[in-house]
Amino acid sequence: MKIRTNALAGIALAATAALGLAACGSSATPAATGSASAGSTAAGEITVYNAQHEELTQEWVDAFTKETGIKVTVRNGEDPEMANQIIQEGAASPADVFLTENSPAIAQVENAGLFADVDKATVDQVPAAYRPSTNKWTGIAARSTVLVYNKSKLTEDKLPKSLLDLAKPEWKGKWAAAPTGADFQAIVSALLELKGEAATDEWLKSMKDNAKAYNGNSSAMKAVNAGEVDTALIYHYYYFGDQAKTGENSQNIGQYYFKSQDPGAFVSLSGGGVLKSSKNAAAAQAFLKFLTGKTGQEVLQKGTSYEYAIASDVPANDKLVPLKELQAPTVDPAKLNSAKVTELMTKAGLL
Amino acid sequence: MTDYSPSRLPEPRIAASVATSTNNHLEIEAVTKNFGSQAVLKGVNLSVAQGGTTAIVGPSGSGKTTLLRLIAGFEHPDTGSIALNGSKVAGDGVWVPAHKRHVGYVAQDGALFPHLTVGQNISFGLDASSLPGRHRGIKARVSELLDMVSLDPAMAKRRPHELSGGQQQRVALARALAREPELMLLDEPFSALDAGLRVATRRAVGKVLKDAGVTTILVTHDQGEALSFADQVAVMRDGKLAQIGNPFIVYTRPADRATAEFLGDAVILDAWMEGSLATCSLGGIPVRRPPAQGRVQLMLRPEQIRIAEDGPIRGTVVDTDYFGPETTVRLKLNIPPVLAEGAVADHRYPGGGEVITIRHWNASITRPGTELCLRVVGEAVAFPMEDLAPE
Amino acid sequence: MTTKLAAPGTIGGTTTAGRGKRPRPPFGVSVVAILAVLIALFSLIPLGYVGVMTAATGWDTAIALIFRPRVGELLLNTVLLVVVTVPLCLVLGVGGAWLVERTHLKGRKWWAVLLAAPLAIPAFVNSYAWVSAVPSLAGLGSGVLIATLSYFPLVYIPAAATLSRLDPAIEQSAASLGLGAWRAFFRVVLPQLRIAMTGGALLVSLHLLAEYGAFAMIRFDTFTTAIMVQYRSTFNGTAGNMLASVLVFICLILLLMEVRSRGSARYARVGSGAQGRALRLPLHAYQLPAQLFLLALTALAFGLPLSFVLRWIIAGGPGIWTADEFLPALLQTLGYGLGGAAATTVVAFPMAYLAVRHPNWFSKALELSNYVTSSMPGIVVGLAFVTVSIRLVPGIYQTAGLLVAAYVLLFLPRALVNIRSGLSQAPKELDEAAQVLGKPPLMSFIRVTLRLTAPAAAGGAALVFLGIVNELTATLLLSPNGTRTLATEFWSKSSAIDYAGAAPYALLMILISAPMTYLLFQQSKKAAGQ
Repeated sequence: MKIRTNALAGIALAATAALGLAACGSSATPAATGSASAGSTAAGEITVYNAQHEELTQEWVDAFTKETGIKVTVRNGEDPEMANQIIQEGAASPADVFLTENSPAIAQVENAGLFADVDKATVDQVPAAYRPSTNKWTGIAARSTVLVYNKSKLTEDKLPKSLLDLAKPEWKGKWAAAPTGADFQAIVSALLELKGEAATDEWLKSMKDNAKAYNGNSSAMKAVNAGEVDTALIYHYYYFGDQAKTGENSQNIGQYYFKSQDPGAFVSLSGGGVLKSSKNAAAAQAFLKFLTGKTGQEVLQKGTSYEYAIASDVPANDKLVPLKELQAPTVDPAKLNSAKVTELMTKAGLL
Repeated sequence: MTDYSPSRLPEPRIAASVATSTNNHLEIEAVTKNFGSQAVLKGVNLSVAQGGTTAIVGPSGSGKTTLLRLIAGFEHPDTGSIALNGSKVAGDGVWVPAHKRHVGYVAQDGALFPHLTVGQNISFGLDASSLPGRHRGIKARVSELLDMVSLDPAMAKRRPHELSGGQQQRVALARALAREPELMLLDEPFSALDAGLRVATRRAVGKVLKDAGVTTILVTHDQGEALSFADQVAVMRDGKLAQIGNPFIVYTRPADRATAEFLGDAVILDAWMEGSLATCSLGGIPVRRPPAQGRVQLMLRPEQIRIAEDGPIRGTVVDTDYFGPETTVRLKLNIPPVLAEGAVADHRYPGGGEVITIRHWNASITRPGTELCLRVVGEAVAFPMEDLAPE
Repeated sequence: MTTKLAAPGTIGGTTTAGRGKRPRPPFGVSVVAILAVLIALFSLIPLGYVGVMTAATGWDTAIALIFRPRVGELLLNTVLLVVVTVPLCLVLGVGGAWLVERTHLKGRKWWAVLLAAPLAIPAFVNSYAWVSAVPSLAGLGSGVLIATLSYFPLVYIPAAATLSRLDPAIEQSAASLGLGAWRAFFRVVLPQLRIAMTGGALLVSLHLLAEYGAFAMIRFDTFTTAIMVQYRSTFNGTAGNMLASVLVFICLILLLMEVRSRGSARYARVGSGAQGRALRLPLHAYQLPAQLFLLALTALAFGLPLSFVLRWIIAGGPGIWTADEFLPALLQTLGYGLGGAAATTVVAFPMAYLAVRHPNWFSKALELSNYVTSSMPGIVVGLAFVTVSIRLVPGIYQTAGLLVAAYVLLFLPRALVNIRSGLSQAPKELDEAAQVLGKPPLMSFIRVTLRLTAPAAAGGAALVFLGIVNELTATLLLSPNGTRTLATEFWSKSSAIDYAGAAPYALLMILISAPMTYLLFQQSKKAAGQ
């Protein structure tokens, strides 16, 4: 009895102490790291709002910090969430750099007028096809839409010719997607840009009946692999990622690219931009330059992300179907409208 | 805190200097206290002499505990003032908090600190640096205090919950005595104890305090306790002190009927007062300082009415309650002969046929139906009629 | 998310030390009262946020966003979930408690603890284990399965505590009035369990409404998961806010229902003092089935999740223990847990103090406001704090302090209930005794009241700590940049189907939760009489 009482009192004491420590810790961190500067012109510390894959960004950040000594704090989230967050935060945003998986979110921040111009050195590293004409942000990687299917249930000739075919009654219950994710919403934004609002609206409404909703692309592919559902509309790299690990979630998976400039052949551009409100613009620009530079792009080529490298003449990972063979439709990334997509999907009952 | 600018408030200074001239340890003047809309104290005046023992007795809800808490400094009076040793501690803009009043206080349940040993409880208020030998000094003092309240010094290591109720109260007293207060406040400290222990503990506590010469105020709802413990009894009723005096006077000459009945069993009879003689069903009984003439109510204590073979009054036993050492006897008084003969005008002999309660040691002579002869001993107390019945 | 121990049965049940007369609040109390009011106002931020947002949205938009088919689906899902899960939890919880406390069940000492053990497994870890075991799990049935297994101890613990304290004289009188054991149970014992059951049912319901991870993992959509989806798509968009207002509305209805069904039952308290030993029914031929039933229940609720976490740990090998990810998450979790627990305790104190020392309508109203807020799901509190801090107080946006403040709101009742019972062990007479012995008020407060309340406060702090360790939604929304807790790391990895990578975090959460759960179990036995 007595012992427990004392132990509890001890916990209370420790808690109080920890509170003090936590308070100190949060304020002490920047000061402690601020002094650690490397030889380059940019130094200090930046905060990255990262909607890209955590692992990929972590690889970039580790390499960047190693090279420059600039400390990077990463906040992870989803494309539209972080875009809206940055817009709400406005000039007070703690973010220096925003990285997305897809273009609509970064276009949204651009349209809010929150980005600084990308340094010319960075722009020069990226082919014009992979950056917006405004140069308010730049592409950093690309990913392609793919329909994964269960090879033991279907063959490629049974698959639809177009993304729009998935709205047909014969596909009811036979395809899956992760409608809550930014990836899927980017595909929808391409559809919206290519086919217009009415067609998109209709397609989404049929999807509500036809598609099985999963919590993420990985889960959707896992479900296809397990035979829970025949096909899933996701991005290309989930398959390669799983194959590189155990392959247990992709052994029955076949990858099907729509090609022929179909909306389903959409190649989505991951973007990166520097916030106007950045308090360390030099370091932020250096980070963007690093991502699109040779080292950054080689992380894409050689790493486990299996996203497409697009800049500094670094070729894609040789396991991937080359970008040029995908026959993607031409879409101006600056025109992708994520707010409209969310609205239409909410209306369709998908969100 | 206090505004003593002479131009604005000359009176308090004079009042204070007047107060110092008295020998009273405690002086309470016109104190009132409300809780919300409820008036708990309605103007209380009380003086307690140095070294004296005062019992404040009253039914529950009469405000006696509140009065004690005001003296201790746990509550502020709304109006009126309280002075200790001639200096104000509350009222007239003065406020001395409890921890600076240097009084002792023993609560109903002892209020021992459950997380401390008996020894730590007792030494709680002691300042180690003020005692010779510091730690050893404290230990010695604790032993001394335990001895003073007749407890084994070895108990110092025990926890409060390992003690009996009586022992806890003694420890609480020892704790209060440790700081050698000049005024000790006891808030029904014996009421939680069972009957036998209560008397023993009360005696022991009373002796300790008397030996130490500490001025003591005891609050209790037990009139027996009040009468036996104190040399001054203050009867509290409905937020006021109904009577203050020594126990014998208060018991035998209560100021009003309610006080009379609160302090003990009372026989109340209608009577006719002429001069200092009251006539009633028990015959003519002398009254000291009658408050009125004509119709009055007469109060006698049951022990004043004795069964005597040659007694002039007769009554018939209605029923009895046997308590062992004594029997409570309810008697119906016979109509006095004077009245029965119709010789005198009725209004001078009110009553007759009343049922009264007396006590007797011998149960065998008090069977229901038996007619007994009675005699009244000593004086009665008369109360004016208007005190009692609305017309 | 494991135990939101609001212990509703004890809210409002005040213990007065004192003399019937209530002293006018003396020196210092007004300061405490002001503090308490400020805390109450602060605690109403989420509720106010939902109200303001709904009003600001405009009637037409609000109607369009609230009365749409998707909300209907969510409502149906949520209602079905509650309607099916709560009775199941009641049956399992009360049944388990009855077997342990009222029958000659063999090994009942062990069963008593084992039945509480599932609380040590956060619901989303449970879900993760089940999805590992049966990958096709999805939808309502799976939601009910996982929720029931995760939450039935919330009924079991108070029910067992009440049964163990229930005066057997009641059953004896029932027997003397000719009732058989079964009829006595239903007519006499069960009604005595009303507080435990309604309180437990409310707790389970609130958990069901607030849970995100467990349902997201099995693709079962509730209001909370849908709000999270909206948050992911729009940050704090209107559609999400409207969903939040419907969710808040449901919470308030549940609170009201609990208050109504509890009725005056809580005044029927169990007397203290010596009482006879509990009556136990011999099980005879039912001994084996009872043992098998409990074995199955604990195997599913505790054994399965634990073994799948261990399976992934083994499958993952040493590679999953990457110290540079793992240690910061552990340290930050401990930091937030301890800091949040301390802050919650400090904040709860004035409220508890007012409730015990100066009980009146005012202190009751303050407590009630708190209670209502604490029934708000973490996602609503998170949304409210994000929006309010961005728009009104940008200085505190994305600070650790804001996250701690959200924890305080979410877990205040755990501290409040405990500190209150601790304070009632420290009547003001003791404080006064110390003052009259020459200690100034502050000193006597510290040396007596605070000291006597410390054990109970520490117990409450431990429960808050447990809640924070397993908190996911508010943490996701409010944590400062770079923050990783065990829960968020687990969530991030398990969402990416990195089940092996998630396992160490799951194991750590279980290891941290286990002793707290045991503490909760022990405390419930003591508190049952109140």
